[in-house]
Amino acid sequence: MAIDRRNLKVLANFCSAAADAMAFTLMRTAHSAFVKETEDFSCQIVTREGLAFANPRQFGAPWYSGIDYAPLLEAFEDYEEGDICITNDPYSGFVATHSPDIHIWKPVFFEREIACFVVGHIHNTDVGGAVPASLSRSLSEIEQEGLRIPPTKLVSKGEMNRFVLDVIRANVRLPAQNLGDLQAQIASVNVGERKIQEIIRRFGFETFIAGVAQILDYAEAQTRNILARVPDGDYFFADYADEDSVGGKPCRIALTLKISGDEVVLDYTGSDPQLGSSLNMPTGGRERHPLVMVGLTYVLYTLDNSLLLNAGTLRPARAILPEGSVVNCSRPAAVGMRSLTCAMTQIVTVGAFAQVLPDLMPAASPGGNAIMNIKTTSRNGRPVMASIGPVGGGGGGTPFGDGSDGAGGATGFLRNTPIEISEAEVPIRFLRYGLEPDTGAPGRYRGGLSAIMEFEISAPETIITARNRNRSIMPAWGVNGAHAGSISRFLRNPGRSDEVSLGNTDVVHCDPGDVIRVVGPGAGGYGDPLSRPTDKVLKDVRRGAVSAASAERDYGVVIRAGRVEEEATATIRSGRRPAVPEVITHGVERRAFEAIWNLERYDLLTAFLASQPVGWRYFLKHRIFEAVEKVTRDRPPVANEMRMLFEEMRIRYALT
Amino acid sequence: MTYRIGVDVGGSFTDFAVFDTGTEKISTLKVFSRPDAPGEEILAALDIFSVRDGIEPSEVSYFTHGTTVGVNTVIQRNGHDIALFTTKNFEDVLQVARLKIPEIHNLYSVRPEPLISRDRVFGIEERMLATGEILKAPNEEDVERAVRAALEAGSKGIVLAFLHSYRNPANENAVKAMIERLAPQLPVVSSAATWPIIREYERTITAVISGYVQPRVANYLDRFEQVLRERGVACPLLITKTNGGVMGIDQARAECVQMILSGTASGVIGAGYLAKASGFDRIMSLDIGGTSADVAVIVDGEAQYGTGELIGDFQIHVPSVSVSSVGQGGGSVAWIDRLGVLHVGPESAGSTPGPVCYGRGGTKPTITDAMAAANLIGHMPLGYGAVNVDHTASKAALAPLAEELGIGVEDLAGNIVDISVSGMYAEVSALVSRFAIDPREFYLFAFGGAGAMLACFLAKELDMRGVVVPPTPGVVSAYGGLIADLKNDFIRTVYCEVSDEALADLCATFDVLETEARDWLETQGYRGRNSIRLSADMRYLGQSFEIETPVEAAWFREGDAALVRRAFHREHNRLYGHADEEAGVQMISLRLVISGTTPKPPLNPIAVATDPAKPRFHVEGWFSGRSWVTGVYHRADLAAGHRLRGPAIVAQDDTTTVVPPAFDVLVDRFGNLVITKTEF
Repeated sequence: MAIDRRNLKVLANFCSAAADAMAFTLMRTAHSAFVKETEDFSCQIVTREGLAFANPRQFGAPWYSGIDYAPLLEAFEDYEEGDICITNDPYSGFVATHSPDIHIWKPVFFEREIACFVVGHIHNTDVGGAVPASLSRSLSEIEQEGLRIPPTKLVSKGEMNRFVLDVIRANVRLPAQNLGDLQAQIASVNVGERKIQEIIRRFGFETFIAGVAQILDYAEAQTRNILARVPDGDYFFADYADEDSVGGKPCRIALTLKISGDEVVLDYTGSDPQLGSSLNMPTGGRERHPLVMVGLTYVLYTLDNSLLLNAGTLRPARAILPEGSVVNCSRPAAVGMRSLTCAMTQIVTVGAFAQVLPDLMPAASPGGNAIMNIKTTSRNGRPVMASIGPVGGGGGGTPFGDGSDGAGGATGFLRNTPIEISEAEVPIRFLRYGLEPDTGAPGRYRGGLSAIMEFEISAPETIITARNRNRSIMPAWGVNGAHAGSISRFLRNPGRSDEVSLGNTDVVHCDPGDVIRVVGPGAGGYGDPLSRPTDKVLKDVRRGAVSAASAERDYGVVIRAGRVEEEATATIRSGRRPAVPEVITHGVERRAFEAIWNLERYDLLTAFLASQPVGWRYFLKHRIFEAVEKVTRDRPPVANEMRMLFEEMRIRYALT
Repeated sequence: MTYRIGVDVGGSFTDFAVFDTGTEKISTLKVFSRPDAPGEEILAALDIFSVRDGIEPSEVSYFTHGTTVGVNTVIQRNGHDIALFTTKNFEDVLQVARLKIPEIHNLYSVRPEPLISRDRVFGIEERMLATGEILKAPNEEDVERAVRAALEAGSKGIVLAFLHSYRNPANENAVKAMIERLAPQLPVVSSAATWPIIREYERTITAVISGYVQPRVANYLDRFEQVLRERGVACPLLITKTNGGVMGIDQARAECVQMILSGTASGVIGAGYLAKASGFDRIMSLDIGGTSADVAVIVDGEAQYGTGELIGDFQIHVPSVSVSSVGQGGGSVAWIDRLGVLHVGPESAGSTPGPVCYGRGGTKPTITDAMAAANLIGHMPLGYGAVNVDHTASKAALAPLAEELGIGVEDLAGNIVDISVSGMYAEVSALVSRFAIDPREFYLFAFGGAGAMLACFLAKELDMRGVVVPPTPGVVSAYGGLIADLKNDFIRTVYCEVSDEALADLCATFDVLETEARDWLETQGYRGRNSIRLSADMRYLGQSFEIETPVEAAWFREGDAALVRRAFHREHNRLYGHADEEAGVQMISLRLVISGTTPKPPLNPIAVATDPAKPRFHVEGWFSGRSWVTGVYHRADLAAGHRLRGPAIVAQDDTTTVVPPAFDVLVDRFGNLVITKTEF
């Protein structure tokens, strides 16, 4: 029986079941606890051309549903039954996106013909390199980020290539874990292969191949249907990660969303040049690279929850990724921490859609969930290393409700570590864990509250790291008249005479008695806070989410002794009607920065840097930023000032 | 002459299984549930027993009861307002939960609203350390302030959940005692007493659910007890438990989380027993009702156990019979999306208004309507005459969809069944991967109103050994309650590395657990034989998930930690396919399960066939869009040894079994329909 719209769901359900079986097998047999805890892995079934058509429904990293394995599949002329291939090298095909992600793929044969491939990756805890766990913002070259295996046949016609295993063993810090996880991956693709063969036996080879094409076409048609309802036009949005290197300059991610009919172009021109830190995204400039499509996938799914997520979903989309930029870095740029930058691409995608669909898009979830790690010693002198969980901001307010507290939006997929587990494992004592009042930006629907964590250290030479922390300089934005969020905070010994604000530091040394407090960045709100119903404001005050002071200041609601003073409230609210709001509200910090670094200046900078060799761009960006900072008054018009600066640079560094 | 009675009160029907200890025969009864007047259905049934079977209430020697009142209170969120006391500065535990949002691709996704709103959560100035050492004891003044605030907020009860109370409940106990003095009218639920596990959110939510449903459940049980006593039933009253056992009504009133999955669990226990007694050692139970389709894996009569079962929006973390939802049941609605693609579910018409063909107000075509339109159900009255199937209405409901797709109604019916079954296939196949079992070794044991209607289609996709339909699929849950053992779980968090030095303490902990367990069985009024099972939750150092591993007390008494570690390596290897003999092993908790055995009635063999089975009549049935002359049999006409060849329909009071072409049916000596693929 041929596949058509009557029974498409039947084949799709069977294929999802096969992907689920792969994910369960991988989760069940993986050696490292990391895989089970963080679910940082993927399993897919891809067409003979490499397009993902089936994903697990509940598990795994949410970024890879539309992945295209073509560059890896094409690495070999021929496949034989029983082959399994491997790579983790970002610069060989740009499917692996940092060295800890080890990808494997296996052809599925049916009566001596390839029907599809079963593929997947696991984020390995360590693959060697300069630092344990292989990831650090401070690394600047891919070579420092550990072992890289170019596309290789790990198993050839069922025969294991021992050399690959030996190479892994010789290069990583915990070989037993990597090899154990690799076994789990092999078990996973083998289960996938068997399941697909069962499906082909049920439907027939030709029907299967044609049906899979229809599954992709269906997802594509769904996306086109969604996009067709979005008005045509170009919509620009930019946002900034805190620093482009340790103690560096803001890192700008810029996006022009070009909607035309039922298609969309994501033009990342204007994003910063590739960096001398590991925040770069290795996309190879590929039009539908999953890393630059995550935000789009979230937006489409939010607009239509029945959307099937696969490579077809992304067909009507195309990205423009300038070479040598942070969204398309060239070798040897380091890429380990590309997830922070990827989170920013998601934020600008939502921001760009908010320009055209302000009634449907939520405000910014701030991103930058700090992954808190601690290295200390127990009373008996034993070293202890543990992750004590993510601390971030809430979800942005949405057009229909408040944002989710503690975590939400695009970064809501992480689980926390129970306080009781952390205290049982690590000699620290928590003083507080929960939600910080007044951190959800005011709006008709307010941002979700930020998480707060505070703990006391009990051993000398304790090191606290807050990986991926962000938004300590420019806060998340609000939509349709709501407020922007607040910046994240990281303090040592808050409220004491030796209090230190740690800014965007991500590594802190502590001694016994020191107290660390982390507060996630505030999420943006949605809609005018003066239009928030008074009973909801009262409820927030009663529940401790909003202070009475903020209720009056931000919402115009006067609350005394647990009751709304109707008359005073009406007076304030009627006297404070704001003008028609902008779609986006930015925080004061960002407005101050953009007073200097406005669109015009950035456009000039982008054009100048693009004319220079890739290796020079990051360096020149810093020199130009420093030069702009020096100009304090009597600024000439931006165009003249920048032209003069570029000229200076050309002369000083003998540039063309 | 005495009678033992098992009752399962469901949303639509209440089922009874009655065991006559003299004749050793089981009889059954189904009546309408009375959610408007709980207890009335029990009285109605007692009247029928008296008239129909001559059973008097005074002759009832054993009475168990399963109910969905607890789980419904959470789903409908109509529990009473209660307060939560936490450690100060950790009051947001319910809102933060485990942080992850439900739908990771949806930017609007938020966690479900907690059962206790934040303005009824109060921090108490107390602190316990992870070692069990008291850093700060609670003080009366502070507690009094919190109790007053809780009362002012209108709280009808208080849940206590302090950090590390699993390790030392002293602070929770002290505060409980203070509240009993300050506000004796308020019921208090302590997290350590409910289920003392490490992980604050999991322990807190379990206690909160228990406290949240408590007033309503207690009220219901009071009424139930009163009704039975007034009618002269004098025996102890037992309630079926989340863990698949039974307990006395007083414990159910106080520890509500123990009975929250009462009905679901006893269905699995009933299925397990019936299957095993009939000689099927590996089954998956398939229970399909109007709104749900549930599957459980049962090996050798033993259900799988786990924690984290879903109650509405929340998980509970007490040991539970492991049951997985695989669909939305017979009410799943078929629809066509904007792109013209046919879907089934997740919307369900439920039992009200229900499928169109039941004529009770349903307007959307459901999977049940598809079966009716294919002419495969509704040839004899269903549900004790309560519903009649209107074939014309079901066809009319499917017609617009069929027209849109440009196909016949019967074709469409086949597509709807295929899609619905493929959805269940995907869920069961996930379960199969999770438990690492091979479905080809299993029978599908079908019960519930719609289980037997769809079982063969599902078994075929999963390539299972076959399908078993018990004689009275409607009363499997009631039956489960009747045969379930008295059973209780005990746990202590120990959190230590498994070493020889740790064993002395662990021995002492076992002794404490064992004493508690024996005391419990005694308070249940049980004097018979008991069995005790020990296990430990263990993991490799650095892992964050524990595996429950069966252990023996002797290993601890002999002082050989290597035996304990070896048991863990073995279990790890069995589940995950590998073990690390070199790695350190950590024990998180010790557990003990005690059970007091309940007599198991033997199954009644049915009459042996003398003539071949004869259908009452034939109909034109549609399978996968093809028409077949299909015999309709009455279940009551079937005798042991009868063989039928699909396609066939077997109708009975409480369900219809649909046997597609290329399946054979054998009626076994206990009256089970054993359906397998035709061997060609």
